[in-house]
Amino acid sequence: MTDHKPPYLGFGLGLRPQHYQEILSGNPAIDWFEVISENYMIPGGQPLRMLEQIRERYPLVMHGVSLSIASTAPLDTEYLTALKSLADRVEPKWISDHLCWTGVHGVNLHDLLPVPYTQEALDHVVDRVSQVQDVLGRRLTLENVSSYVSFGQSEMTEWEFVTEVANRADCWLLFDVNNVYVSAFNHGFSTDEFLHGVPQDRIVQFHVAGHSHEEGHIVDTHDHPVCDEVWDFYREAVTHFGPVSTMIERDDNIPPLAEVVAELDMARKIAREVQDGTRLSAAE
Amino acid sequence: MTSLKELQARFQAGILTGDDTILDEVKDSAREPRTVLFGVYRHAYVARLVEILGNDYEQLHAYLGDEGFAKLATAYVAAHPSDRRNARWYGRHLPGFAKETPPFAAHPEVSEIAALEKALDDAFDGPDATPLTIADLAATPPEDWPRLTLEPHPTAIRLTFTSNAADIWSALKDETQPPAPAHLPEPQAIIVWRQGLMARFRLLAAEEAMMWNEAAKGVRFGVLCEMVAMFAGEDGAEVRAATYLKDWIEAGMLAGCRVEPA
Repeated sequence: MTDHKPPYLGFGLGLRPQHYQEILSGNPAIDWFEVISENYMIPGGQPLRMLEQIRERYPLVMHGVSLSIASTAPLDTEYLTALKSLADRVEPKWISDHLCWTGVHGVNLHDLLPVPYTQEALDHVVDRVSQVQDVLGRRLTLENVSSYVSFGQSEMTEWEFVTEVANRADCWLLFDVNNVYVSAFNHGFSTDEFLHGVPQDRIVQFHVAGHSHEEGHIVDTHDHPVCDEVWDFYREAVTHFGPVSTMIERDDNIPPLAEVVAELDMARKIAREVQDGTRLSAAE
Repeated sequence: MTSLKELQARFQAGILTGDDTILDEVKDSAREPRTVLFGVYRHAYVARLVEILGNDYEQLHAYLGDEGFAKLATAYVAAHPSDRRNARWYGRHLPGFAKETPPFAAHPEVSEIAALEKALDDAFDGPDATPLTIADLAATPPEDWPRLTLEPHPTAIRLTFTSNAADIWSALKDETQPPAPAHLPEPQAIIVWRQGLMARFRLLAAEEAMMWNEAAKGVRFGVLCEMVAMFAGEDGAEVRAATYLKDWIEAGMLAGCRVEPA
C-alpha cells in the first residue's frame, strides 16, 4: 500500500439521523463526521441524500460494523464490493472497522466478538486485512473492541496482538479510548500498558464514548455521557500520542446535538491543555 | 489447542443455543465468573435484535405493548438468526412470522401492521427514480395513448389487507386510541411508495387497484381503459382511467412511460 497516513481532521462526531436537520440548518462547529457504513449501504432515499449534503460541507470517514475481519467464515465479497462502492461515492478520509468477528456459518450476531490472541488468529487476521485492502485499494483502519471474556489459549496481550496486526498487515489503527478502559477493567490489565504498547505511527483516530458500569464488569453501551475516568485516560492518550483526530461516539439514548457538541468541546479543551493549542486548531 | 474455527463455532453456539462448551475456553476474571462474562454476549444478542425489531416496527410495538411485542420479538429472534451483514434487513421476515406463529396468527392485524411498517421502511430507502410528470405525459401525442405503458416508481409496493390494520397504524402514528381490530367485509388494496423523501401509503378502491395491478404488469393504456370499462361500466371509463393516471402521477407513484410499437 502506498497511501500516506490520513490527515489530522480535528474534532468530529458520529453522524446520527436524529441530528441531520440540525447539522444542515445550523452548520455547527464540528470538524468532521464519521458515518456508519452499513447505514448507507442501502438502495436510495433520504439517508443517502442527507449523506450527500453533509459530505459537501464536512470531511467524512466511514466506520463499518460487519466486516468481520477475524471471522473464519469466507470474506463476503458482496459486502466488500458494496463497501467499495460506497467509498467511491463518499470519498472518506479513511475506512475503519473493528478487530473482531461478527459470526460464522452464514449467521451475523450483530456484535463485536473477541479474538483469542494467538499466532493462528494473528496469521488469519493479517491475511484477511491484506485481502480487504486489495479490494478497497487503500489501507484499512482497525479499532480495538471492548471485550468481556478472555481466552485461555491466548499467547500474547491484546496490545501485542493489535501491534502485530498493524505492522504485518500494514494497516492503520483506531484507538478507542473507552474500549481500552472497558477491557482493562474487565480483564484487569493496565490502560497504560495498552497505551504504551501500541505503535503511535499507526494511529489515525480516537473514539471517546460512554459505557455502563455493572457490578463486576463494564458493558460498552455508548448510551451515556463520557465519564471522568475515560476523560482522564483520553488526556493520557493525547499526551502520549499527540494530536489524533478525535470523535465522540454515541449510539444509543442519542441526546440533542448540543449535548454531544459539548462533549466534543471537552475533548478540544483537554487536547488544548495537553498540546500547544495552535497545533490543534483545525476548525477554530 | 482448539482451532480458531472451532472456537468461533462454539462461541456462536454458546450465544445462539445456550451450549456451554465455550465456557471451557474462556477465563474467570478477578471480579466475575466466566458464566457472567459470557452472559454479556448472550444477553446482548437477544437485546440488540429485539431493539432492532422495535425500531423497525414502532407502531406494532405500540399496538402490542411492551410485553406483547417482547413475546413476538423474542420468538422471532429464536426462530431467525440474522443472515445479513446489515441489520437493516434483519426484521424482514417478521410479517410472515407473525402470520404463521400462534398466538399472533389468530390476529391478522398483527401481521398486516407489520407488513405496512416493513413496506414503509422499504419505500423509505428504496431505489431512487425521477417521478413521471404530467409534462412528460403531455409530450405523448393523443393517438399514441392507447399504446402507452406505465412504469411504477421502484419503491411502489402493493399490499392487500383483510383487517383494518391501516386504520390501526394511522391512529397509533397519530398517538390516538386505535380502533378495535376488525375483519373487513372485502379485502382492502393498499399501495406504499416514496414521494420525494417521504414514504407514504394510500388505500386503493377496487377498480383503481385492478388498473394499477394491470398497469404494473405492462398492460397498455388502451387495454387498461377497456378493463376499467368492464370492471364498473363503460360510462366514463376513459375519464376514470385518466383520473387514476393523473392521481398516480401527481402522487409520484410512476417513474416513466413509453409508447409501445403498434
